[in-house]
Amino acid sequence: MTASKKDTLKNAVNQPSWLTKMWERISIVFESKVALVGLIIVLFWVTVAIFAPLLTPYTPTEQDYTAQNQGPSRAHPLGTDSLGRDIWSRLIYGARVVLVMLPISESFWLPLGTAIWGVLLGLIVGSTLGLMGGYLGGWIDEVVMRILDAMMAFPVILLYMIIIAAVGASATNVVLAIAIVGIPGIARLVRSLTLDIRTRDYIRAAETRGENPWYIMFVEILPNARGPIIIDAMLRVGYAIFAMGTLGFLGLGMPPPSPDWGSMVAKGRQFILSGSPWAALWPSLAIASLVVGLNLFADGLREESLRYQ
Amino acid sequence: MAKFIIRRLLLMLLTMLIVSVAVFLITEAAPGNVARNVLGVHITPEQEASFLNQQGLDEPFYKRYFNWLIGTDWRASRKVNLKVKKITRENAFSEWWAVAENGSYVRWEMEGEDLIAEYLHPDGSLEEVEENFRWEVKSPPSEIERLSTYRTSLNENQQLSAEDREKILHELDRILEILSQDQPLSSLDSALKEPESRLAGMIDQQALRQKSVLIDTAKDITRRNTLIRAVNSYQQAEAWEEELNSDTRQSLVRLYNNVGEELKENHPSLAGQFARAAEHLEAEDLSAAEKELAEAVSTLDQLLGRSALFLEELKNERYSEAADVLETWSDPDQVPLDSSQLTVFPALVEEIGSGFDDDVPLLSEPLLEAAERMRAGDTVEARELFEQSADNFRQLTSTIARGEAARGARAARSFWGVNSQNLAVQWEKGTGKIVWRLVMGSGWIATSGGPVEYIPLQKGLLRGDPGLSLRTGRPVADLLFTRLRNSLVLAGIAFVLVMPIALVLGLIAGLNEGKLIDRVLSIGGMMFSVTPEFATGIFLILIFAFWLDLVPGATVFGEQAPWERPEMLILPVLTLTLIELGYVLRITRASMSDVMKAPYIRTAYLKGLPQHRVVMKHAIRNALMSPITVIMLHVNWLLGGIVVVEVIFGYPGLGSYLLDSALFKDFNAIEGGAMILVAVAVGTQLIADVIYTFLNPRIRYD
Repeated sequence: MTASKKDTLKNAVNQPSWLTKMWERISIVFESKVALVGLIIVLFWVTVAIFAPLLTPYTPTEQDYTAQNQGPSRAHPLGTDSLGRDIWSRLIYGARVVLVMLPISESFWLPLGTAIWGVLLGLIVGSTLGLMGGYLGGWIDEVVMRILDAMMAFPVILLYMIIIAAVGASATNVVLAIAIVGIPGIARLVRSLTLDIRTRDYIRAAETRGENPWYIMFVEILPNARGPIIIDAMLRVGYAIFAMGTLGFLGLGMPPPSPDWGSMVAKGRQFILSGSPWAALWPSLAIASLVVGLNLFADGLREESLRYQ
Repeated sequence: MAKFIIRRLLLMLLTMLIVSVAVFLITEAAPGNVARNVLGVHITPEQEASFLNQQGLDEPFYKRYFNWLIGTDWRASRKVNLKVKKITRENAFSEWWAVAENGSYVRWEMEGEDLIAEYLHPDGSLEEVEENFRWEVKSPPSEIERLSTYRTSLNENQQLSAEDREKILHELDRILEILSQDQPLSSLDSALKEPESRLAGMIDQQALRQKSVLIDTAKDITRRNTLIRAVNSYQQAEAWEEELNSDTRQSLVRLYNNVGEELKENHPSLAGQFARAAEHLEAEDLSAAEKELAEAVSTLDQLLGRSALFLEELKNERYSEAADVLETWSDPDQVPLDSSQLTVFPALVEEIGSGFDDDVPLLSEPLLEAAERMRAGDTVEARELFEQSADNFRQLTSTIARGEAARGARAARSFWGVNSQNLAVQWEKGTGKIVWRLVMGSGWIATSGGPVEYIPLQKGLLRGDPGLSLRTGRPVADLLFTRLRNSLVLAGIAFVLVMPIALVLGLIAGLNEGKLIDRVLSIGGMMFSVTPEFATGIFLILIFAFWLDLVPGATVFGEQAPWERPEMLILPVLTLTLIELGYVLRITRASMSDVMKAPYIRTAYLKGLPQHRVVMKHAIRNALMSPITVIMLHVNWLLGGIVVVEVIFGYPGLGSYLLDSALFKDFNAIEGGAMILVAVAVGTQLIADVIYTFLNPRIRYD
């Protein structure tokens, strides 16, 4: 056995296991109090969303005509809405649609929530466009960037309204709208990262090896750009939840009677001035806390990761 | 610099063009039916088609897009052969008129078969003149073709008496001969006058009006009368196996139960049959139900003197067949008028008679009288009256058939003009085509002849006219600018409030980076800026309007909006302010903390300058550069926020207008609003770039 081979083996033994690596990554969260608070809020919503059926005796659409617009009580911890539905159960089932499951049809759903799928879809398309623009350059870059510029000039709210008006209100279409609106921003970010990374030596090396440009884009460049992309994506999940709520509020979200936070607020709003604020208050608080939690988490992470650089 | 601005402006126009095409395409693909949205869900397909036609919505989308972009008036001018002009009259409504040969403005309406012109003279006076001389015969070759087909259909027309047919064919042949003589269009008209006036003499306008009463009554009774419905329902029984869905089955069950109720007293066995049929149907035993019904329905039909058939034939304008049924009522062998029949039949006869009431006295009087007699048991007298009404019916219907046949035998005329609804219209008469028209005040009216083709008049966006809103029927520009003004007031106040506060707070936070005050400000700012506007709005309403009861929680404006109730602006402005405050604060903080780390600041400190001088003289100007430009870029987001705020507080701004229009599929309104939004978004970006060059002289755009 030659000396060099021995060294390699030794190194392999001393290499920290992936578990330790993971732990190092995760422990960053505990360095920042802000990120920790954010994480706790987000985890709270994820947990209640996952275990929603165990946490309430009611279904989100169950109506009780004898108990409409009630304040918090023992039977209904957060009160009831104008149709006598339990607000707590509507809130946690609403959180499911946002964070845990994407209903495609009545009997079929995908894991991960609507907001997350919207961001993922936007990431896939946006990164591809950004990588192409940044790495291939030339006329491809021109065309891609001009189209994205036009999309960015489009007022976001108008884009949402028109997309939803065109394809109809459903969970899948909300995903689509979120993705489309997110694409230009993601593409620009990935493009600027690509422009930076393509000058690195390992890209030069890969090019000399004669690698396929797609291989270079997705295997060499993308993984090395992941840090900022992940943090951006986290902020985007916040935006997506923001957008979902806004769409729901404007009547462009999930069709009733599904428990959509935004439409719950829109419905509850009508009864505030007649003396029943609860149906509007709770979903507003829920969406505000979740979005703030996500942003605290992302902000804290960003600050910590900047400190290490 | 000028070159840069021009290039950006051109780019903005390009973006607007792309956006307008995109909006058109997407709205086109959107589900929803604008005719239903405007006219309600109960319109008939013909009415819908007519509405779409009048609004020019039945044209392919690329044509509509160009209409919207470059207008239609020049196209209309060519059709009308007169100049078409948009004028604003004293009442401040914009109206389209044609400019007549003598310089007055003119537009037309069709009343009956006459063309009435309305002149607006330069001195402002109005004058109405009959202008039938403007009618032009449609192109002879196509008319010959149409009339030849019509000739064949006349020969097959069963309703027409041989004598009438002979007369009409005679005149029709004359007309065809004249048309084929290849004369100029001008002399054609006078040549056609003679045979056409003879045809006109055969048309009895009153009879034609009575026709619609007959048919409407028949339709009405078939729809409403339970017994007739029961008889008719059985005719579809054979198709039940395949088609009977649960809804129709339920309604049939209800129907038969009702019939059973109705007949229970006088015809218990018949009522029992219907009740059993209903039971079978409910149990989905179709064949048993059918068996039960077969006998019951035929008995009932006999009891009713086959009235269902009479009404059906009448509805389908098969007059002689209907008259045959009517005649059987006077025949004791077919309609015995015995005691059992007399329990149901008179009521039905009375219903039919009173349906014809007043409008067709020739039929309604004998029928009502007959019903009376039957009730009194005087069947002989009743039979005589039935005979009389059958005779009258035959007479009336033959007049109707003759009139209709004669009406269609004339050469069609057409005319392109402008009407009072700002449409260029092609009127036609004599083609026998039925046209649905929405007449204000009297609803939908079916007219034979009338407007057949429309061009909605508009100047097009390029000439500053975004068209009419489908939702309100008024020019988009009128409302759009009021709404835009309201939104600008809201955004402007919020902007004026946000800027100083946010910049100062941001500078404070940036100067104290890492200290408690910075943590509080930046986390607080972040919380406000990421919370959706509707949630912030709800919190504010709850706190200030609901619990503290300090300010109104909604905005209700009259004409003087938004000045008349300034206190209503407080909460909307506050909501917008909070959202923007956080955003600007965070950017200012980041920028300030960057600047404070810059070498020239360190130099300034090392020179021994006091803190306030370093900050005031060296840091602030550089630190404000990026926030000011970034805020401009943020306008795009702000627009979204305004929409939501407007919806929460019911504020009559541009955003809520756009939302309503989008939900309504109101093309012109969406496009108009979208163009303004894009102009605002792109325009502010341009302004941001220009400001940036002033703040930072190192930047050059060449």
